[in-house]
Amino acid sequence: MTTHRSGRRRKAAASAVIVAALLSTAACGGGDDSSDDSGKKNSANGKIEFNGAVGKVLNASTKKGGELKFIGSQDFDFLDPQRGYYGFMWDFARYYTRQLVTPKPVPGKESTELVPDMATARAEVSADGKTYKYTLKDGVKWEDGKPVTSKDVKYGIERIWAQDVLSGGPVYLMQVLDPDGKYKGPYKDTAPDKLGLKAIETPDDKTIIFKLPKPNADFEQMLAMPSATPVRQDKDTKEKYTLKPFSNGPYKVDSYTPTKGAQLSRNPNWDAATDDVRKALPDTISVTLTTNADDMDKRLIAGEYDVDLNATGIGQAARAEALNPKNRANVDNPQTGFIRYAVMPTDVKPFDNIDCRKAVVVGADHKSLQTARGGPQAGGDIATNMLPPAIGGADPAYDPYEFNKNPNGDVAKAKEYLKSCGKPNGFKTTIAVRNNKPLEVATAESLQASLKKIGIDAQIDQYDGAQTSGIIGAPANVRKKNYGIIIMGWGADFPTGQGFSQPLVDGRFILDSGNNNFSMTDDPAINKLFDDAIAAKTPEEASGFYKQMNEKVSDSAVYLPFTQEKNLIWRSSRLTNVYTADSYNGRYDYASLGVVK
Amino acid sequence: MLAYLIRRLFAVVLMLMVVTLVTFGIFFLIPKMVGTDPATMYVGKQADPAAIEGIRQKMGLDDPILVQFWEFVRGIVVGRDYTSGGETTHCAAPCFGYSFRTEQAVWPILLDRIPVTLSLAAGACVLWLLGGITTGVVSALRRGTVVDRSAMGVALAGVSLPIYFTGVVALAIFHYKLEWFDATYVPIEDSFTGWLEGLVLPWVTLAFLYAAMYARLTRATMLEVLGEDYIRTARAKGLKEPVVIGKHAMRSTMTPILTILGMDLGALIGGAILTETTFNLQGLGQAAIRSIGERDLPIIVGVTLITAASVVVANLIVDLMYAVIDPRVRLA
Amino acid sequence: MTTSRTHTAGTGPVTSGREGFPTTMTAPLHDTSAAETAAVDVAADVPAAAIEGRSPWRIAWTRLKRDKVALAGGVIVVFLVLVAVFAPLIVDAFGHPPDEFHEDQIDPLFGTPVKDWGGITKDFLFGVEPINGRDIFSRIVYGARVSLLVAFLAAVFAVILGTLFGIVAGFFGGWVDAIISRTMDMLLAFPQLLFTIALVSVVPNEIWGFEGTAVRMAVLVVVIGFFGWPYVARIVRGQTLSLREREYVEAATSLGAGRGYILFRELLPNLIAPITVYTTLMIPTNILTEAALSFLGVGVKAPTSSWGQMLSKAITTYETDPMFMIIPGMAIFITVLAFNLFGDGVRDALDPKGSR
Repeated sequence: MTTHRSGRRRKAAASAVIVAALLSTAACGGGDDSSDDSGKKNSANGKIEFNGAVGKVLNASTKKGGELKFIGSQDFDFLDPQRGYYGFMWDFARYYTRQLVTPKPVPGKESTELVPDMATARAEVSADGKTYKYTLKDGVKWEDGKPVTSKDVKYGIERIWAQDVLSGGPVYLMQVLDPDGKYKGPYKDTAPDKLGLKAIETPDDKTIIFKLPKPNADFEQMLAMPSATPVRQDKDTKEKYTLKPFSNGPYKVDSYTPTKGAQLSRNPNWDAATDDVRKALPDTISVTLTTNADDMDKRLIAGEYDVDLNATGIGQAARAEALNPKNRANVDNPQTGFIRYAVMPTDVKPFDNIDCRKAVVVGADHKSLQTARGGPQAGGDIATNMLPPAIGGADPAYDPYEFNKNPNGDVAKAKEYLKSCGKPNGFKTTIAVRNNKPLEVATAESLQASLKKIGIDAQIDQYDGAQTSGIIGAPANVRKKNYGIIIMGWGADFPTGQGFSQPLVDGRFILDSGNNNFSMTDDPAINKLFDDAIAAKTPEEASGFYKQMNEKVSDSAVYLPFTQEKNLIWRSSRLTNVYTADSYNGRYDYASLGVVK
Repeated sequence: MLAYLIRRLFAVVLMLMVVTLVTFGIFFLIPKMVGTDPATMYVGKQADPAAIEGIRQKMGLDDPILVQFWEFVRGIVVGRDYTSGGETTHCAAPCFGYSFRTEQAVWPILLDRIPVTLSLAAGACVLWLLGGITTGVVSALRRGTVVDRSAMGVALAGVSLPIYFTGVVALAIFHYKLEWFDATYVPIEDSFTGWLEGLVLPWVTLAFLYAAMYARLTRATMLEVLGEDYIRTARAKGLKEPVVIGKHAMRSTMTPILTILGMDLGALIGGAILTETTFNLQGLGQAAIRSIGERDLPIIVGVTLITAASVVVANLIVDLMYAVIDPRVRLA
Repeated sequence: MTTSRTHTAGTGPVTSGREGFPTTMTAPLHDTSAAETAAVDVAADVPAAAIEGRSPWRIAWTRLKRDKVALAGGVIVVFLVLVAVFAPLIVDAFGHPPDEFHEDQIDPLFGTPVKDWGGITKDFLFGVEPINGRDIFSRIVYGARVSLLVAFLAAVFAVILGTLFGIVAGFFGGWVDAIISRTMDMLLAFPQLLFTIALVSVVPNEIWGFEGTAVRMAVLVVVIGFFGWPYVARIVRGQTLSLREREYVEAATSLGAGRGYILFRELLPNLIAPITVYTTLMIPTNILTEAALSFLGVGVKAPTSSWGQMLSKAITTYETDPMFMIIPGMAIFITVLAFNLFGDGVRDALDPKGSR
């Protein structure tokens, strides 16, 4: 601490250099599309520089060998493919699971497209859009050498229905294939082969047919999630499966100790000829879990590990060191596809009045909220609407409330809205925020401070973050507690308007518990736009509907978006074949990484 | 003597039962009172009703608390059967159940963390006893001198500093700045020197705090003992000063120190929450903190029981040791 | 035919130092370190209460006045109490509102203060908080309110419970004593920090119509106080046991005085000295406990400021902004030290044996 003074000077100098560098990157890239543009300028192999693995493949290589070392400060929710819901788990799951289809292993936005994985081709869809048929490739095997059959795929998917035993994962397939909840799951299945789900047919070991009660344009996206992974019935250990999942991918899980780590080694029965997606370059993969995120950042920078498993961004403590000119070529700054926002329930007074909502939307200090999230690099750009750029129909420039013109909020206009809302002297309300998310608490404090300037007296209620679905997910409780403003973040489970926005603003998604439509928006026009988009024949057509939907949501002023989230993530110098993928929230595509140059 | 032991052991068991019951109460009754459902914490963001119901059953939340309690105690003593999805798995004694979050058996998790906490507690204990008692004795003998005053000044500062402050300062200086020690725990069976290196900072930080307390206590007790008649008698008999201090005075001085040592060690073995948090040691304390955040009741109850057990057992041992140290004590 | 219990009772308040929040109560009543300057003019071994003409409080005050170190501690304590009481005025005069953001003071890239030394200027006396630029001075001043109020009320709560149970156990003896003593043993063996965290973290923000910081503080007071009472009760019980055999109690009994009368008119006044000492020594412990809980994230909630919470935030920035860690750390240290010095002094002054 004696060198404090000189240290600070150095840091100030470093800061200036970095700012200059970042500005120049932005200048040549041209704003939001910088990654795509600079990708074209560089050689195919990329250049080792700041953001070098965003939008392009850096250090392309096919050299095998070595140990790829992950470190993380957050444990997997589950390794069980049907139960995992964390984004990094989905990215990681491709090491030991294969699905019928999977995200395309390419950088950037193109990664949100799907390619066949175990299937020979993408689905043959019937004309009415209700039947999806796949044929399995030959030579896809389990880690014990037995072939993966269509029945294994069906059994794996059936496990989603056993929510009473296997909770935690996404239930889209259940909602789409069995909306009335007729099937009771494989453990209560009376059929001798436990394959009683009517909506999936397996005429032979190679063929699988899905029959949907009504068409859904994103059905294949749901089949690309790890929850559609095959599981072999004789290897199903139910709730213990998460501790040792049985692999059909290039690696098998040798050990997994929750809160400590995992070890993966090559699966000798995986045949590269059957797999166009996974590079399988490292010989072994290790995961180390720690509880000290700052120490983790330091170890990454020191080169002891290769990748931050969670990729939730370099923390404030190590940020100066990471962005130091000697290090910053090892830092990427991708979009995560998350939007951080505040939402105003329309059934909590006075937010039933649109002008009171507008007062909050225009009165908030957007710059301050951005700083609370970590600033333009570690936090992300100020979000001006509620669709992330990677989603079809998104327009990052759409700024109906002129956030960019008034980054510090428009106090005069907010007061006007307050007048027309009938609360010229402001009002009292409560901001609800999860107590286990320091950045969200910081944004709540920022919002509170800026609302004070327009006369709104907001109390902050830090509720138990472990019980989110029962506290803010229960509309009755939200009304009872008078939560006028709820702070949250949201990322798409699959990269379409349906995946991102429908749970948030479709009135038919309002639930008594585990609700995500906090604003209680139930606008028939918006609901219909979702129906139209889901029934659309082409992604372009769907995008058009989603664009309209987004504008309608903006008009209703129920959301105050904070940031289009970006993270600073560390890329070790050893990594080859490295690029960030929108399909995995801007994380590196783990299945492609190698460590030998 | 035997009757005494049996009585004490009976008290130990009773005490542990009460601790378990209270822990159950906190985590099941309070959420009920305030109207939140612990089951909702374990479902994903889609919160399927079947999932919530399944978890309620799995956690036994529908049973009355006394039934849950009885099942749990039985599990520890004779093992327990779990039924899920139509199949039954047996969890052998001592069965603390399965973690609600990770599905692992609780007992192996605890076993895995005990060495970390034990290493921390044992090493720090050696340091603070050496440092604290020596300082206390020297201070008492040199009462009123500069040595005494400065030692007691440091000791008072020591008990006034929060460990998560001294710990972080120590880390900042000796680990990150000077890079003298690595601050990662290495199991002793992997590398003895690595184990030493990883624990030096936590040991010293923790020991500093306790040494300060023990120095103050030792000094005060010693001063009191030195005023007692039998010390005067010993001196009058012409015994040499080292014998008077080392043999006669030290014996009586040790009694209160032993009492506190029993409680302190017991509590530390149950997890030095703040030290483990500051130094990122994966011991019982961190397990407790993590599981409180995740409401992972089986682990919380497990750690609580270990702590309570180590406190009462340590107290029992201390009481037995009185008889050895102080001939005036008879166990009855 | 004694057991260990009598031994521990005989050596005074030897409580266990719970990890991280050292019980300064371990300092026994007979420590004289801070009272070397105290006079030797009071006859040793004569209970203060027995001296005629001079009330024990007068004697104590005379002794305390001569203990310069303790007085210094006392002055700081008084100063801190004044700061807490007049926090709004002080902040008005020397600082900015505690939850006002000053992002112009913050480097947007790193979130650290723009100016050296954590942004300390004559406008921001203790510098500014990283990320949002709030005035640390104001937050320290308001943090003193939380710390002192919680610590004081928790001590009072513990002393009330402890005295009540202690007197009852000591005076009535028998099965009453047995039940209370076993309960105390049980509580002392409880993993207290663990239970405190668990309890505080499951208590909601709103109970019985109250909400926010008041609820948090009330919960902290009750929980910290609850785990503190056995320490007090043990001392009080011991004192009561010895006092009830005294002649004056016997005299009162033979004169037909009721139990209540004896308890509250004869015994309680004689317990005031040890209880006072205890309360003083318990406050610094409670300050550390409150700070530890806030550090672990279960203390008062943002945006109410507390020292422990500031320290826990500072953990992530101490390398780039060490002042943000040092200032709340020193605030805790100075406060606890002052209370300890003062408490030691009070103890020595009130304890007749202390002048040996």
